Amino acid sequence: METTQVTAPAVRKSITVNADQQRAFEVFTTEFDSWWPRSHHIGKSPMTKAVIEGRAGGRLYSAQEDGTDCQWGTMLVWEPPSRFVWAWQIDGQWQFEPDLARSSEVEVRFTPEPGGRTRVDLEHRYLERHGLDADAIKNAIDSPEGWGLLLELYRAAAEQ
Amino acid sequence: METYHNPQLDALGDATRRGILARLIDGPRPVGELARDFPVSRPAISQHLRVLKDAGLVVDRPDGARRVYALNPDAFESLREYFDQFWNQALAAFKRRVEQPPSPPSKGRR
Repeated sequence: METTQVTAPAVRKSITVNADQQRAFEVFTTEFDSWWPRSHHIGKSPMTKAVIEGRAGGRLYSAQEDGTDCQWGTMLVWEPPSRFVWAWQIDGQWQFEPDLARSSEVEVRFTPEPGGRTRVDLEHRYLERHGLDADAIKNAIDSPEGWGLLLELYRAAAEQ
Repeated sequence: METYHNPQLDALGDATRRGILARLIDGPRPVGELARDFPVSRPAISQHLRVLKDAGLVVDRPDGARRVYALNPDAFESLREYFDQFWNQALAAFKRRVEQPPSPPSKGRR
């Protein structure tokens, strides 16, 4: 089998929530700050607010305690209340990645279900665009600021 | 607890090996071509490739008389695993939030 590029399988998640489509979309986006994990930002100081700008070309960013804004994503597709796609612009050094060709994508779809419920399908794709450079792997594994720590936090939470 | 990461870290602690990985991002390469690209001997390249292979970062296959090396797609697994678990956590938090009425901001920190 001849392949010219290495691709990583997408991460896919589906959940059904007890809220209608409009409400589910709004909580995910407008009320993003109310549920987004507080540990998950790339600022140098603690995060005070997590924000999704609801328009194509809008930013995903965190406001930091030191007064700075840290962008970590760009809205690529904005179709309320059914779907949006954003570029996940965090590189292996836990820094903003301005190059969309080196960013992965997250698509979230909201589908009405009977009984006023909504199915939420999330796909995080093109992970290979983050590259397999040494620093990315090293940070993923052992940086206290990096993915490794988040994984540990998740494990701790999951095992409670 | 997690011992399987260590060979990867060791493998990445060398500039030539990092260079080889960077080259392989563009696609599979025969060992002879890699040897030409780096200012080290061919036996040295082969040794580096063996370390990368043992660490699970590259895979090889025969192509006639040559051996062709490629990035191991499984090497993305730690990144996938991270996001897989991250989204479990984030979507669970989202579900808890969306199914509850708005509540006043919590006081202080835990």
